[in-house]
Amino acid sequence: MNTGKTVNLQPPPANADKADELEAMGKAATQRKGEVRLGREVQARIGQQLRGMYDEVVNQGVPKHIDDLVRRLTDQDDGVA
Amino acid sequence: MKLDPAIRDQVLATVPSLRAFAISLSGNVDRADDLVQETLLRALAHIDSFQPGTNMPAWLFTILRNLFRSEYRKRRREVEDADGRYAETLKSHPEQTGRVEFNEFRAALAKLPSDQREALILVGASGFSYEDAAAICGCAVGTIKSRVNRARTRLADLLAIDNVDDFGPDRATRAVLAGGGRS
Repeated sequence: MNTGKTVNLQPPPANADKADELEAMGKAATQRKGEVRLGREVQARIGQQLRGMYDEVVNQGVPKHIDDLVRRLTDQDDGVA
Repeated sequence: MKLDPAIRDQVLATVPSLRAFAISLSGNVDRADDLVQETLLRALAHIDSFQPGTNMPAWLFTILRNLFRSEYRKRRREVEDADGRYAETLKSHPEQTGRVEFNEFRAALAKLPSDQREALILVGASGFSYEDAAAICGCAVGTIKSRVNRARTRLADLLAIDNVDDFGPDRATRAVLAGGGRS
């Protein structure tokens, strides 16, 4: 009863119990959702660490050489490129 | 060029986040800064194609990502060695979270395929909507969603964090169980 891998390739025999089919469908659906269903706490932790790492850089602000560059390029009268 | 100061300020305001994104893509602070500079040069040279009132960060991120991608193809090996490099470059500011946990997280992040890492960062750290992230990456919204999902799942895996309720033993215990061998 365990068709395992390829649900689509082999349509179940006519009298295969509906239950199997439904189960397979249900399983596919849960698995798809399962991707998302990581658990709030886990997601929160991942998000927190991710932002922590990112914000370390963000909090460094605009490096001086980049600030200078942008101002220089945008203040001059003739074209940039 | 004389640029509307308001536009210039929008550009400058995006730089910190742009840098963070660049570092997460390239895994290297120096290269990231080059990338940011190159991005700004291009952006300012083509500032006419930016429509005021639209999303400046998304516009700049798109340029940076494209630059990175075209360069990346040439230097793939260097970056895919992410395990080492990406983790290493960022190792220097450990205060915020526990040092070990933090480095572990970075190492895990570095192991993700780059498209997943990128999607996760755009949505989870840069704060873009799925729609903006999709526009930045030039793919469908659904693709971004699924990349983000896969990235999260894989990270949770790599970090061995799961729903504690489901799995009972804490991480240390599970490590012992997993590594314990047979005898």
